[in-house]
Amino acid sequence: MINREWPMYRVILENHQLLPLLPRFNLKMGFGELSVDEVCRNHGVNTDFFLEIANAYLDELYVPGEGLSLFSLSTMVSYIKSTHKYYIDIALPMVEEKINRLMSRSALSKKEISLVTNFFNDYKKDFMAHLSQEEENILPYVLELERQSAQDLPDPEFIQKLQTYSIHEFEKEHDRLETSLKHLYELIIKYLPPFEDLQLCHQVLNDLAALMKDLVDHADVEDKVLVPRVADLEALVLSRTSTV
Amino acid sequence: MRIATFILHIDSFIIRLGLVSILNRLQGVRVLKEFKANESFISFLENHPVDYIIIDQAGFDRLVNLYISKPELLELTILLKDSSLKDLNKGVLRGDVPATLYLTDEKETIVQTLQNLLQHRDDLSTKNSSEDLSPRETTIVRLVSMGLTNRQIAEKLFLSAHTVMTHRKNINSKLGIKSVSGLTIYAIVNNIITIEEVSSLP
Ligand SMILES: [Fe+2]
Ligand SMILES: [Fe+2]
Repeated sequence: MINREWPMYRVILENHQLLPLLPRFNLKMGFGELSVDEVCRNHGVNTDFFLEIANAYLDELYVPGEGLSLFSLSTMVSYIKSTHKYYIDIALPMVEEKINRLMSRSALSKKEISLVTNFFNDYKKDFMAHLSQEEENILPYVLELERQSAQDLPDPEFIQKLQTYSIHEFEKEHDRLETSLKHLYELIIKYLPPFEDLQLCHQVLNDLAALMKDLVDHADVEDKVLVPRVADLEALVLSRTSTV
Repeated sequence: MRIATFILHIDSFIIRLGLVSILNRLQGVRVLKEFKANESFISFLENHPVDYIIIDQAGFDRLVNLYISKPELLELTILLKDSSLKDLNKGVLRGDVPATLYLTDEKETIVQTLQNLLQHRDDLSTKNSSEDLSPRETTIVRLVSMGLTNRQIAEKLFLSAHTVMTHRKNINSKLGIKSVSGLTIYAIVNNIITIEEVSSLP
């Protein structure tokens, strides 16, 4: 478990898997001897929230929940948004560029190449659709719910919406984005002929594995932390209005 | 095979070590943590999904209140007893554990008991998996990967276009894959189709 007093450079030195978290919290390198807490505070990041996410990220078996429920829904929403931004700006383009390079240097048949490139193009589209559904509908709804719950008299229009909509509808439709990447990984190591450029091939596989793991954690934050808390709050708001 | 996760609650260091060394040689098994104190054991259970608990007689007796308040834990519990002779004074709870090991067991017996348990669990999980496609859906995935349109699939299988659409929707929601290219890769890695049979897409 990472501790707030530890020097940040040591935390990242010993846990390189945490690298992708840095841009998400807008933490810049050049840490010097500053502690985790100091680095977070210098960048306007809630240290406890960072620690909770980082520890969940390191411990595969940790089920996020209890610790994260201490933070406001808006803190979680902005973390989810910055994770989305990391996927769109960094993770996806990075692996896509490598896949394209790997394909262009390979001895694969045209058919095999188009199998992979078509797959990745469609995957990207589905990925973007998944994120924009969350950014345009779900997350604004969560923020609105939090705002309404803080008011003595919630907006009647909102209450009406609550009576017919629940976050569980989102949960039901919520696809796992990592599944298809796993299929691609398996395709490369098992079904396609071997690649000449081993170094690049390994990089592609490493990137895919890191992205899959990240997506699992992300979906856990959405399904196991956000959804139950939102559902609780929905019930609370509804019960309050029914007793008025 | 899904990984089965174990935690151990055993007082004796030597016995713990012996069990861990057997468990680590079994396929699809992971030992998450070993305990001898109760508090950390209980809080670990609350925060981590665990498939099996191996616990010795003394630990089991100390935690009997936990088992009474959470009887579902019994379904995960493998009891390690001193010897089979003591089975005479069977408690109410003890009959319900999925497996029992004895300190007097040879390695082969322990391995066999654990493997039976894991096999049984695997059988259950494949039976209950709703993710699996039906034979009809598998056929449709195959035809989609060969480049057939919904209409062509309907004709080939003597179904209405509407029925094919319904199957496609169910496939999408079972697999969470919407695109034809995604279904194609799924079909290849699940041996529903070979790369040679896949249509060469435009
Ligand atoms: Fe998301
Ligand atoms: Fe999501």
